[in-house]
Amino acid sequence: MKLYIKSLKLHLKSMLEYKASFIISFLSQILVFFSYYFIILALFDKFDNIKGFTLYEVLLCFSIIQFGYAFCETFARGVDQFDNLIIRGDFDRLLLRPKPLILQVLCSDADYIKLSRLIQAIIVMVIALLKLNISWNLLKVFTLIFMILSSIVIFFGIFLLAASYCFITVQGLEVRNVFTDGGKHMAQYPIGIFKKGIVYFFTFVIPYAFVNYYPLLYFIGKENNLIYAFSPLLTFIYLIPCFLIFKLGLKRYSSVGS
Amino acid sequence: MSFIEVNNISKTFKVQKRSGGLKNAIKAFFKREYKYVNAVQNVSFKVKKGEIVGYIGPNGAGKSTTIKMLSGILTPTSGKIKVDGFIPYEQREKYVRNIGVVFGQRSQLWWDIPAMDSFELLKDIYDIPDEVYEENKNSLIRKLNLEEIVNVPVRQLSLGQRMRCEIAASLLHSPKILFLDEPTIGLDATSKKIVRDFIKKLNNEKKITVILTTHDMSDIEALAKRIILIGKGKVLYDGSLKKLKNLYDNNKYITISTKYKINIKHKGIISKEKVHDGYKFIIDSKLINISDFLSKVSKSAEIDDVEIENENIDNIIVKLYEEYEI
Amino acid sequence: MKFYISYFKLRFITGLQYRTAAIAGVATQLFFGLVYIMVYLAFYDSNSGGVPMSESSLVSYLWLNQIFFSLIYMFYKDKEIFDIIKNGNIAYELIRPKKIYFMWFFKIIGQRLSNVTLRCLPVLIIAIIMPKPYNLSAPESLLSFLMFVVTLIIGTLLMTAIITLYHVITLRTLNEKGITNLFMSLSDILAGGAVPIPFFPLFLQRIANVLPFRYIFDLPFRLYSGNVSVSDGLNGIVIQLIWFLIIVIIGNLLLKKSLKKVIVQGG
Repeated sequence: MKLYIKSLKLHLKSMLEYKASFIISFLSQILVFFSYYFIILALFDKFDNIKGFTLYEVLLCFSIIQFGYAFCETFARGVDQFDNLIIRGDFDRLLLRPKPLILQVLCSDADYIKLSRLIQAIIVMVIALLKLNISWNLLKVFTLIFMILSSIVIFFGIFLLAASYCFITVQGLEVRNVFTDGGKHMAQYPIGIFKKGIVYFFTFVIPYAFVNYYPLLYFIGKENNLIYAFSPLLTFIYLIPCFLIFKLGLKRYSSVGS
Repeated sequence: MSFIEVNNISKTFKVQKRSGGLKNAIKAFFKREYKYVNAVQNVSFKVKKGEIVGYIGPNGAGKSTTIKMLSGILTPTSGKIKVDGFIPYEQREKYVRNIGVVFGQRSQLWWDIPAMDSFELLKDIYDIPDEVYEENKNSLIRKLNLEEIVNVPVRQLSLGQRMRCEIAASLLHSPKILFLDEPTIGLDATSKKIVRDFIKKLNNEKKITVILTTHDMSDIEALAKRIILIGKGKVLYDGSLKKLKNLYDNNKYITISTKYKINIKHKGIISKEKVHDGYKFIIDSKLINISDFLSKVSKSAEIDDVEIENENIDNIIVKLYEEYEI
Repeated sequence: MKFYISYFKLRFITGLQYRTAAIAGVATQLFFGLVYIMVYLAFYDSNSGGVPMSESSLVSYLWLNQIFFSLIYMFYKDKEIFDIIKNGNIAYELIRPKKIYFMWFFKIIGQRLSNVTLRCLPVLIIAIIMPKPYNLSAPESLLSFLMFVVTLIIGTLLMTAIITLYHVITLRTLNEKGITNLFMSLSDILAGGAVPIPFFPLFLQRIANVLPFRYIFDLPFRLYSGNVSVSDGLNGIVIQLIWFLIIVIIGNLLLKKSLKKVIVQGG
């Protein structure tokens, strides 16, 4: 942990070497990410609900997903951009060091420009929460926290899976976007608006539904079952196979080479 | 038992066949053909503690594959490696605490911040105790002349300065073995000398075992008593540099300044070339020794000046490569 | 001209080698196509009343967008060009006796055409055989299909000119993240990449209509389904061509100016 925090500091220091460029990129990113919200805003300009969910419910859903994604992009950049590590050959360097690899990969990169997306997600989340009529209680506060945490966890897991894929080949990584960008795109809406098969897929294969659908139902008062409130915690289990697959990929890498 | 023991290792890679042209590109799109390349074949050698070994060979000979296997990054397809009681590719995390690696063409330092910050991070990566770290750091800074440069962002350093920092970075955790992959590539003469002197000293004082790959034969001459020559994945020569030189160093380059015409024929004279104030000969000193040659020449012409040069090591290596057809 | 064509060919062939990338691209496009369609249909299901596009022409629009995605997505950075810009190797391009602008232009169009060649057919076939209402319908008429083809070809040229211009601008700013990102994502929105233009709020529709971006793919895709009439399409072609010329000229002038600066700085 100490090592990770130290490396975060160094990444910040590196980035601040180019102050002007950092600021420009940061600002332009805010506008770039706005395009994600643009879709929702434009469509709700024409329609008033999607399968019974209102604009601010959808925005809450989306901001939680954006938060987790942006968090991983910022602080787990090394896992997200793992292909670069492999292509540049820097991964070999990490193998020469006596520390757990995942930790080292985490330390290898951090992209503070993506904080702009994180901040934006927080702002949208706050607006949505203010506009929604939530009957608050302690459990709902926890549910919200669980949702945010599970959002981070699920993207970390998916990033790990994509990284494991890089051990085999760095070609065709675009498929990663299906699960990150594509998944993200679907999960910005409450998953329940989709057909059954898709709901199952995102419940049992990639558990986005536990991040922001089942708990959302509880949170906005559409369901009162407590299981819904705690359902985000299930995503933590999802991390286990992700780690195992990464380990497997590593083994293959050292026997096949790059 | 030897410190490093490499026993009959081989490494095979699967690569895709590629050929030019639109037709082939389309064909390859639907059906890929692969071939197997033996990067390293049945390589064996042993290294004693405290030795400096030059590991040489032309590009693509399998040098870096061997280094990767020795440092635990790659697992051999067959064969076995043991270093200081470890099997590198199986006990990687424990093993790598004992080694330092410098890749001449790659950097382990953070590009935008001073090397000192990278050092601090390495301290945590290797769990170096404070006292040891301070001592190692200070002695490395002193010996490699880094006082002025460790606090400058790495991107502002010259290649030579950076390389010195790289070497310091790989030695902070007091490794027992140092792998140097082309450490002097692209360096100027002064930097080369600093690097070489430092490695020599390090080897003398701390008995660090050094394995060095390079294309610069003067590195080898300055550092390694023993060389291992590898070509097409196989070990071609393993022994002292001196012996290699004796085997191939028969050729002498003799330049004779004279106003006269020299007409001389003898076994052992490989070539004769007219230059503006005399002649340039290459002779094989096994067949005709130098004094015999000179006395023969002086019989037919008055000699103003003579210059005798030995075969340089690059030519010896080229000859070796030619002989082994690599 | 022959030189640029062979440049184009080289890029095209290189692109063909990335088979895995192509397969992944197809999967991505199919996935996104379905997601978008499902979202829109969910909106259509839960609301009755005034929609700006009929269900089938909307679905066609969304599929066409995915089928040609690797050709028309406005967020496109040519790695090779950015590399030479950033590491200062632009000097090497200067020693070639050809126009850099057109070298870049053909590099970009070659790359993008080779990308789309590999990706469009599978997506197209699957989009056609999808069950209703998820399928790509046949074009409105033979004439509107012809108009679609013509406007898409000019649209591709226009896209290339705009993307080349962004690369030229990057040569000026030397930062491929800031303004370049901003321009690219704004132009994708204004071209109708995120949401079809008829779904824009009114004031944005007006803005989009006076800018060149909607003439890249919005025009051809809506011609296909009859959402834009053939006579409007004919006007569109004229506007397309005018924009294309203007942007090529701006790109050339700006590049000339930037190169002068580069030479003065000594690279």
